[in-house]
Amino acid sequence: MTQADIAVGRRQSAGSRRKLQSQELAILAIAALLALIFAVTLPGFATINNMLTLARSVSVLGVLSLAMALVVIGRGLDLSLIASMAAGAAAVMALLGAGYAFPVAVLAGLAVAMAIGLANGWIIAFIEVPALFTTLAMSLLVFGVARFAFKTVLVYPPTDAHAFLFLGQGKLFGVPMPIIVFAVTAAAMHLFLSRTTPGRFTYARGDNPEAARLTGVDVRRDIIISYMLAAGLSLLAGLVSASATASMNLQIITGTMIFDVVLVVVLGGVSLVGGRGSVLSVLAGALLIGVLLNGLTIMNVNNQMQDVVRGLVLLGAIILDNRLHPRDEETARQGD
Amino acid sequence: MNSPVDHQKTATATARRDAPVLEVRDGSKIYGGVHAIEGVSFDLYPGEVHALVGENGAGKSTLCKAIAGAIQLSAGDILIDGKPVKFSRPGDALAAGVSMVYQETSLVPTMTVAQNLELGNEPRLTRFRSLNIQAQQLLQSLNFHVEPTAYVATLGAARRQMVEIARAVKHQARVIVFDEPTATLTPEEIMHFFHLVEDLRARGVAIIYISHALEEALKISDRITVLRDGRHVVTAPTRDLTRADIVRHMVGREVIQERPQRLPAAARALREKVLTVENVTMGTAVKNMSFTLYAGEVVGMAGLIGSGRTEIARVIAGALKRNLINGGKIYLRGKPIRYRTPRQAIDDGIVYITEDRKVDGFFETMAIDDNIYIGRLATKQGWTFALNAGDRNRIASELIRRLRIAALDSRAKIIELSGGNQQKVVVAKALAQEPQVVIFDEPTRGVDVGAIPEIHAAIRKQAEEGKAVLVISSYLPEILSVSDRILVTRMGRIAAEIDATEADEQKIMYAAIH
Repeated sequence: MTQADIAVGRRQSAGSRRKLQSQELAILAIAALLALIFAVTLPGFATINNMLTLARSVSVLGVLSLAMALVVIGRGLDLSLIASMAAGAAAVMALLGAGYAFPVAVLAGLAVAMAIGLANGWIIAFIEVPALFTTLAMSLLVFGVARFAFKTVLVYPPTDAHAFLFLGQGKLFGVPMPIIVFAVTAAAMHLFLSRTTPGRFTYARGDNPEAARLTGVDVRRDIIISYMLAAGLSLLAGLVSASATASMNLQIITGTMIFDVVLVVVLGGVSLVGGRGSVLSVLAGALLIGVLLNGLTIMNVNNQMQDVVRGLVLLGAIILDNRLHPRDEETARQGD
Repeated sequence: MNSPVDHQKTATATARRDAPVLEVRDGSKIYGGVHAIEGVSFDLYPGEVHALVGENGAGKSTLCKAIAGAIQLSAGDILIDGKPVKFSRPGDALAAGVSMVYQETSLVPTMTVAQNLELGNEPRLTRFRSLNIQAQQLLQSLNFHVEPTAYVATLGAARRQMVEIARAVKHQARVIVFDEPTATLTPEEIMHFFHLVEDLRARGVAIIYISHALEEALKISDRITVLRDGRHVVTAPTRDLTRADIVRHMVGREVIQERPQRLPAAARALREKVLTVENVTMGTAVKNMSFTLYAGEVVGMAGLIGSGRTEIARVIAGALKRNLINGGKIYLRGKPIRYRTPRQAIDDGIVYITEDRKVDGFFETMAIDDNIYIGRLATKQGWTFALNAGDRNRIASELIRRLRIAALDSRAKIIELSGGNQQKVVVAKALAQEPQVVIFDEPTRGVDVGAIPEIHAAIRKQAEEGKAVLVISSYLPEILSVSDRILVTRMGRIAAEIDATEADEQKIMYAAIH
């Protein structure tokens, strides 16, 4: 290849690199445009109060999506995030109710969530069961065990658990805690993915697991760790959510929330083929979904219709992902 | 290998029956902005065996996939019997009488031979008895000893190929494309295959024969077309070409067999034994292999595909596990080793550079320097929790310079590079791990011609620096030009060990086959 050829190649792909980054930017632009339209047409949308409501409503979803992004970038999928979130948070509340101190209860809840992540990761890494089926089954198992353990589907925190309630209902410098939790988690995840070796290995594993293994990455160990970290983050989301509503309904495990999480992640450009996307993708996806659902709620669109909209957007996002990152061998490789 | 077929080339090549059955005019195919083939013209006459040769990446498979309808040309025409055709899928090509027998067979393993023969045009209702009888008749007419009721999964490579050929005949193919048909066959099976090709030619079938083995192409074809870097170089009757001519056309210049300074055997005895493999066995792929690698020496490993070369390399590097019981022993500087993961081998200084960089070599989403840097990060000494851009730039720029990677910008993505430069990045990733034992598996496969000598120089350099180097290659001139000592594998065993000063292609081939 001559220098000129290389130069040509560079130009072309400088374009394709812009295209890849532009998925997040495009989603951000769409979200901004949508917000603008709502602000003009919907009374009550462009108020400080509504903005805070919007941000708070996507915070829990956002933290869960960061957890999902971590797993998906490593070419995995965790459909049991809602299960570890609900079961972990319920365990924390039950222990608080039994009189344990807040840190003890949280550590115990973390142990519950991470045990679920460990089981997921081990089955996926060592028995090599596809993540989709493993985490789907795990979700059902956790739901069953949790109902058995808590004897009810609705778990409440004790009314005097101030530290716990502060997480979802408190404010720091006037900013609601859920937003702060989301922001801090996003910043930490960004640093982890872009500035650390384990983060780089996550991308490597998602890009080409066998190449990562041959290069000397301990792929199996890393898979387990990533599912445990994701489960731990889901507990954080669960604590915020349970604290904000002062309850946790175990039935959300079998609800549609996991679809929202997948939607946020894929929409922003964290491709399901792995190795692609970033925290910015999650922020973009979360923002668009937040604006959309908030607007629909103000417009008094009923839940069923909102589900239809979310379903359509999810399908669209997955189709787009498939177009941008085809798994087709023929286009992925040159002949010979 | 004595010529199993003594056909009269003159009869078929000169007595061209009427018009070409198939013609490609100015065919081009672009993948992601790169021409896989460009302006290639090709013609094929009934009853002709037309060999298509060229290096990896020359565009042979691309051209044939277009002919067989598996892909569509970006520009240019395909003509059957002089009429332009557009194949949008393999079924269209099949209907027009063009059939392709792929390297990896396209049979369904869980179905029987008869069912596979019927695949794609089953009647609404299948009567298995008549299906089997028809299949039996077809196979017998071709003189194939294959049971129609046998499941394809139970057949060996040669029988599977027979089924594929039978399927092509059943579809009344007038053009059959064979893609590396002999790569997985034993010498006897190759002989049988050649007879079959003769038979098909006698029936007036036109055959395109893609092969790396020039000797085969010279033996069996009527005409030869050489492709290079996606372009048509020459088409000529086989009797007008010699092996040297073809190689010159393939490479684009006179190939000088430059032989580096060799270590005399006596000097080697003084060297340090780095890696000793003793009676290593892995499943059926590797049987009782034993050899030793010395510091400062390049050992070439030649042998047919499937003779256990890649497997033994991967066992050494921890990517595959040898048998737990009677698996033999491997010593690194006298210390017995048994790795469960490549990571452990890398910690001990053994790196393996894969034979297919796209499958398990590089990270396509990452930049050139990140690809190199990740090699260092994955070692015990190189691991740091926080990434360090300074380290990355230093390590990457040094290796880019040492291996002469032609990249204007080390932050560019690796997929923007040519095959040769991608290969060099994969090598750089391995060298960033500061190994003591380096195993190259097909180091120049799919590499642009200009980069080959540079990669060979890099391989020699590793040995000069005192590392133990093993080079696996199917390309004998490569083996001859880089090795100090040559091991030949055959059916999972080391069949011969030849000193490079005494080696030539005939000796190696003889050991690999007999």
